[in-house]
Amino acid sequence: MIAPRWRKVLRDTFGQRGRSLLAVLAMAAGVFEITTMVHEYALLEPALHGMYARTRPASATLLVDRVSDALVDSVRCMPGVGDAEARPVIVARVRVGPDEWVPARLQVVRDFGAQRLDTFEPDHGAWPPGPDDVLLERTALRVAKVGIGATLALRIEGTADRSVRVAGTVHAAGLPPAWMEHMVPGFVAWNSSLREGGVESAQIRMVVADHPLEEGHIREVADSVRTRLERLGHTVTRVTVPPPGRHPHADQMEAFLFLLLAFGILSFALSAVLVASMMHALMAEQVRQVGMMKAIGATDRQVAGLYLGQIALLAAGALIVGVPPGLLAGRTFAVFAAGVLNTDVSGAPFPLWGVAVVAFIGFVVPPLVALGPVRRAARIPVREALADDPPAPRLGGRRMRGLEGLAWLPRPLRLTLRATFSRRLRLALTVGMLAVGGATFMSALNVSSAWLRAVNDDFGRRHYDLAVGLDQPQPVAAVAAALAAVPEVERAEYWPAASPYLVGPGGVATRTVSLVGPDPGSRLLDLALARGRWLAPGDRHTAVVNGAVLALDPDLAVGDSVRVRLRGRTEAFQIVGIARELTPMASVYAPRADVLAATGQHDDEARSLRIVTRAHDDAGERAAARALEREFERRELPVTGLMRMRDARQGILDHLVIIWSVLAAAALVVVVVGGLGLTSMLTLGVVQRTREIGILAAIGATPTAIARDVWIEALVIGALSWVVAVALAAPLSWGLETACGNIFFKTGLGFHVSPLATGGWLALVLVLASISSFLPARRAARLTVREALSHA
Amino acid sequence: MIRLRSVTKTFETPAGAFAALRGVDLDIAAGEFTAIVGRSGSGKSTLLNLMAGIDRPSAGTVAVGEATLDTLSNDRLASWRGRAVGIVFQFFQLLPTLTAAENVMLPMDFAGTIRPAERRRRALELLARVDVPEQADKLPATLSGGQQQRVAIARALANDPPILLADEPTGNLDSATGADILRLLGELSAAGKTVVLVTHERGALDGTTRTVTLADGRVVS
Repeated sequence: MIAPRWRKVLRDTFGQRGRSLLAVLAMAAGVFEITTMVHEYALLEPALHGMYARTRPASATLLVDRVSDALVDSVRCMPGVGDAEARPVIVARVRVGPDEWVPARLQVVRDFGAQRLDTFEPDHGAWPPGPDDVLLERTALRVAKVGIGATLALRIEGTADRSVRVAGTVHAAGLPPAWMEHMVPGFVAWNSSLREGGVESAQIRMVVADHPLEEGHIREVADSVRTRLERLGHTVTRVTVPPPGRHPHADQMEAFLFLLLAFGILSFALSAVLVASMMHALMAEQVRQVGMMKAIGATDRQVAGLYLGQIALLAAGALIVGVPPGLLAGRTFAVFAAGVLNTDVSGAPFPLWGVAVVAFIGFVVPPLVALGPVRRAARIPVREALADDPPAPRLGGRRMRGLEGLAWLPRPLRLTLRATFSRRLRLALTVGMLAVGGATFMSALNVSSAWLRAVNDDFGRRHYDLAVGLDQPQPVAAVAAALAAVPEVERAEYWPAASPYLVGPGGVATRTVSLVGPDPGSRLLDLALARGRWLAPGDRHTAVVNGAVLALDPDLAVGDSVRVRLRGRTEAFQIVGIARELTPMASVYAPRADVLAATGQHDDEARSLRIVTRAHDDAGERAAARALEREFERRELPVTGLMRMRDARQGILDHLVIIWSVLAAAALVVVVVGGLGLTSMLTLGVVQRTREIGILAAIGATPTAIARDVWIEALVIGALSWVVAVALAAPLSWGLETACGNIFFKTGLGFHVSPLATGGWLALVLVLASISSFLPARRAARLTVREALSHA
Repeated sequence: MIRLRSVTKTFETPAGAFAALRGVDLDIAAGEFTAIVGRSGSGKSTLLNLMAGIDRPSAGTVAVGEATLDTLSNDRLASWRGRAVGIVFQFFQLLPTLTAAENVMLPMDFAGTIRPAERRRRALELLARVDVPEQADKLPATLSGGQQQRVAIARALANDPPILLADEPTGNLDSATGADILRLLGELSAAGKTVVLVTHERGALDGTTRTVTLADGRVVS
């Protein structure tokens, strides 16, 4: 038999369904967020780390003059080497439309059935490919605009155009998705017809036998292999050591998880404030009953236990309501994120630690948050609780005078506002909850906007529309004639450029960098400088490097020398400035004369062009690009790459899709939870003012006027919360923008407050307030005078 | 049974301190049916609240039976109240979501003095004693004022307390029903309960064994 006190709990809970439902939904919002986050993390974490680790990513890649099975066997036997595999790479361009090409990178695989490193799995179609076939990474079909069985037209430097059949697709979990990189990754057989003509770059990939995650150790082993290969008579032009154990999109993942965690905590704080407000509301309604129970012998502890029991019951309901959609949302989000990161999510069960976290959040946090209001209510003196007239709310003299100063407002409305401002704790909780929500919403949009602004600003400093790379240096006169024949082109500059290797500590060539020699007086480039200065006329052997160079060699600073290896020689440039660029490509900008000298090009030759088109829209730039491709082909000036800056910019923005998804989800949760909170607070306000509403009605206030006052109260609370939210959002946005920029671009995004976010939240909070006030306003308007005056 | 010595109770109000009781000395013996009368604001309800341990004196001592109330903690005071006194209010103060029987069982639940299996049987006995046995499973909202007050009296008797304190128990009832309630309280007094009745109705004094008159917070007779 259930004790009467617990029957009261059950009847209170199920008897007032609307209020209980609001409380359950408030708690369920927190449970939903945490379940979503935990499930998503639980699904993605093993997918990212496990799947990437299962591809056996190479510790280092050595670029050699030629590769053979014997050479790879000898590398495998070298000290410190765990395994090695030949993986030559063919750099090509794929035709995706008339005069439209995208870059492609085709790996030559020794044995599809016995891959050793950087492995991939069959997805659809043939396996292994024949000599005239190519297998594309599964995300590349969309970029190459082909299907399985289609013919792919390829243009490879120094050879005639070729065609291969797309025999199938593979899943290479270690590669980023092709649509994000705007590049076509593919795999061809050792006997592929594409290898004819020696067009590939011979590469040996290796893993170290021990300490696979220690970059220093990997560099030592790779250096030792390089020395031994050179002793065997080979030329090693480059040694690349990627960050050990890090997925190519680890930065994105970290930014994603950081934001997920940050907004998870913020959303959770929002739910906690909402639950606290709700409990405060619940206890305020129960004060009289608390007094009755205490009068007949209930101790403070028994009263508190009773209400904590009710909260536990509501919390159980919240778990039932919040967990299933949380699991579903977590999986949906994980599948989406996995797609963005070119991986698959497994059917990993919800982890035990996740169950513990959700149970803690669902069962322990609500009673914990409610402890304050419950204790306060349980301790109320019986006389006070049973008083016919509850103690008058206190309103400071200044605020009272302030409200009285608004004499132009109707008196009933002034009474309403006075009641709002006099219940300070309730007002603080409501405003606080909405302000946390508003700050979260605005921060999400501010970060998003700062990101977009940083990308736009970066590309806005490049006053050209197309970047063209030629296969060989060509006479400027010939190039200029080709450009003159394309009416879509307005003007161009010829910048000598090359792709040398950055020489790292110990004199080892590491990663490819872009060495560019713009005119010091060029009007096409206006990079922002983090430190130092831009190149000046008359400079010699100086350079400006971007942040990506510093990411490769963090010891470099203004005044140091950056060294690059080109044509077998090491060139040193004294750094005079650090440019703030968002591109992940490491770039070294040096005086034109120095780059010409380093590359062996002549002043009257051009290999790298920056072109300004006449039309600056998508169609105009695309038309110019096609016309240029045609014209260069007609004049037999082979192009190795033609990039629209619009595509480059989109490429960076595509990397942010996953980040924006978190920000959008956070904003959505805030809107839902904020609406719930405001509704519950306004309902409580109406309940607490029932007698007052009855008196107003008795002396002639119409239901419309009463409902209007409730609505205006909601608008005032909403507007007040907006002011607090704006103040909270500023430091929050700054922190998130700085952290995200540093994780992703190795530089802060710069503080930015989006006027759209600020104004948008004001509009949204007022709409929310209007919607949320509908039910309480209707309740107030429908109260009869008799009901209102008899309300205890 | 009930002993008040030099009891003063002062309330802080926005208009300043208000002395509801000023140096009250009062003894009520076991089995007495005492009426406390006086004009509105004379301090009657405040005096009853102090006897019930619902409020504490600003100065002086309140002793009920063996307990000196002002020395007890809030929780001990509540436990004591549940076992030692039964309180009847003007507005009944029944929990709206519990039936009449459940309202009567609630003090037993809090005090833990009666075994759970016996609580309903005792509640039904008490409801029968106050003449509302057929209302046992109804919610308060469906009962008349008189029925609610009878249920409230049954609830006050739940833990068989020696003292019954009633604050204007007829104030919200018609005269016939009020008379029935007063008769019931008289019967309880006759059965050995110490009953203290706060009232401002002269007619309520019939059947009481003693009358204490308060004026401006002082016992005047």
